[in-house]
This record gives sequence, structure tokens and C-alpha cells, in this order.
Amino acid sequence: MKIYFEMEKKTITISVYNIIADKTAMDVDQGQKIFERIDKAFKESLYIDVSFQNIELITTAFLNTAFGQLYRDHKEDFIREHLKTSNLTNSGMIKLKKVVETAKLYYKDPKALEQSIKDILED
Amino acid sequence: MRFSNISNDFNSYQQLITFYEENKDEFFLNIQLDINNFFCANVSAVLGAILDKLILNANNIHFRSIDDKIKEILKKNDFLSFYGYNSEVDIHNTTIKYKKILPTDGKYFVNYIEKELIDSNLSILPRMSKGIKEGIIEAIYEVFVNAQIHSQTKYIYSCGQFFPGSNELFFTLVDTGISIKNCVNKRFKSNLTSVQAIKWALVDRNTTKEHITGGIGLALLKDFIKNNRGLMQIISNDGYYSLDDGREVYKLFSGQFPGTVVTIKFKTDDKHHYSLKNEKDINFENIF
Repeated sequence: MKIYFEMEKKTITISVYNIIADKTAMDVDQGQKIFERIDKAFKESLYIDVSFQNIELITTAFLNTAFGQLYRDHKEDFIREHLKTSNLTNSGMIKLKKVVETAKLYYKDPKALEQSIKDILED
Repeated sequence: MRFSNISNDFNSYQQLITFYEENKDEFFLNIQLDINNFFCANVSAVLGAILDKLILNANNIHFRSIDDKIKEILKKNDFLSFYGYNSEVDIHNTTIKYKKILPTDGKYFVNYIEKELIDSNLSILPRMSKGIKEGIIEAIYEVFVNAQIHSQTKYIYSCGQFFPGSNELFFTLVDTGISIKNCVNKRFKSNLTSVQAIKWALVDRNTTKEHITGGIGLALLKDFIKNNRGLMQIISNDGYYSLDDGREVYKLFSGQFPGTVVTIKFKTDDKHHYSLKNEKDINFENIF
């Protein structure tokens, strides 16, 4: 007789609409609430589905705060494995992709922005 | 002060800055205004912000003469309600109300935009595609959030106007906060000019935020305006930037605007499919 042990994936759903109580995900305070939920669940190694059901409009400021910061405190591989989104609009997806790429670059070298000032002065 | 044509161009903003510079150190004055030529209603946000600065010095504002047609529009968009006039109903639905909003009141701003641009009978709505409508609203939110995060302003002033004949929607947001130049120089202990600071802020991923990413909103907005063949203007202190039909211009004003103005013109008959743009390049399964 063979016995299979399977690690159960504990997945929780974070509903953006439920947390911000609005169909517009616009500002930093709203993003911070989502970030804190994800961060807390990550510390328990949970798998997370961030649901954007009923969210109609999203700004990059919201996404930067909710998702960008995760790359400061967690490894890229861990995030990729433990996090997914659902019901995100196409324009939201495009913005999120941009936010994620920016965060990966930024946290690799936070001092790079200083160089951008020099670049403008030399322009 | 007698204004000549006030529209959305460098010379019009220069007139407003000159008016501010001439009166900014005055106290207990009766400041007289004459608006008898063209006045583009969205610029109410800029004039309102300037007048509030002058009122802070206990000056009185008096509209000595206003052309009847301009008066009608400025009553319809509620601007003149702040200066002793009654409001008027806009039966043609081309105005977007003048508002003074606390930066902390994002929810109020969203309700205002929904009321003015989504739920209203604004005569542009039937002609706009879903993609462009969402793009316009998200663009306006990005500008508002920028002012909310960075400007340290007391109020954010906003106003818009729709021109059905040319299918153009103008929207202006103004803050009287620390300006882009001071924000960048404070963060990086640098000494950029206003124009250099605007240039820097428009570069993708540049942000003055610390320990957190940002700087995407304005760059995305620029792309959106380019595709839409619209117009985007930034006035901050003595710096001027415009992106008009794909062409970028930087200039210096004589005198300083006490904060930052962002004006956007959207072409509402645009047929681009914005929501699908770049979709093929994105691996939706592996976004993180």
C-alpha cells in the first residue's frame, strides 16, 4: 500500500472591494490596507489570491503601495509562488506589470534615483 | 487687472502669473478683475487658486466687469458662487464644476468625478468609447493622487470644460503646495531649476517617494495623451511644459506660480482601443 502525503496549500482570498469599500482603488491609504493584509499572510507562508472583483478603476499609486512594497521585504521567487490576482481589468494588469517591474529594479538599487538627478543636470 | 484672452496656452498662464506677482504682497486691497474677452472655463481652477492666495492676505476680490457669456459659464460651473454670485443650471451639459477639495478627501474627489463625468448627462458620454472614458478618468485620478501625495497643499482646485464642436475635454487640477522643484530638491538635496525638475518628474520611474516605488503615473499619462493626440501642460513655479499633439515644449515664465497646475486636453472622439494596448506583451499567468 502506498501512502501519499500532500502538503495542503492554504490559500486565502483578499477582496480589495471588501477592504477598501469602494469600486475605485485610487489612493495610498487604500493600497496600504491591502499591503498590510498580504504582508501578514506572507509571514504565515499562506497562498494569496487578491481579488479585484467589482473594482472598476485603479491608479498606479494604489498598486505601488499595495504590491510594490512587497519586493522590499520578500524574495521575488516567494512572491511569485504565493501571490496571484483575479478579476483584474486589462488596464489594471498593464499597470500592475509596470509596478512590479519598477519595484524589482528599485529595490535592487534604491540609490539609482540619485543618478537620475545627475542625468538631468547633464542633459 | 484686465485680462485679455485666457485660454490654455503659455501666454494665458503668463497673464495669470503676472497678476499674482503684482498682487501677492498686497494686504487689505480691493482687487478688481475685468474678464471681457475669451476665458476658457477650466482655467477657473488656476484663477481660483491664485485668488485664494490673495484672500489669505485679507484682500477683497471684486469682479468689476465680466462679459455676459463668460459670466453665464462661470455661474454654471459654480466658480462665481465663490465670489458672491448665484449658481446657474447648465442645460447644455458642457461644464465640469469648479471645486476646492481637501487633499485628504479622495473619496469626495471620486464622487465628484463620477457625478461630473460618469453619471452626469454630460453631452460627451454617448460618443466616448468605454476604453477612452476609463482612460480619461484614470488619468485624472493619477494627477489628483500625485497632488495628494507630493504637494502638501491646503486645497486641490479642479475644473473642466467640454467643447462639443471640437470633441475636446479640458480638465485642470491645481495645488498651491511646495511645487515640483522644491519637492525634488528637498528629497535629493539638489538644485534643479523648475524646468529641470519637471523634466525629471516626467521620466518613467522617477519618484521623490522614499523606501517605496512610484513615478509611473505621469509617464503613463504622457503615453496616454500621446496616443489620444491630446494636450498636457504642467506649470510649476516658473517652469512650463507642454505636450501638444506629440510635441514637447519647455519654457520659463517671468514670475512664479505658487504651486503646480496640470491641464489635460482629451480628444473624446478617439477610437483607440486602450484597454487592449500592450496586452499581447503581458504574461498574465506570471505577473509577479
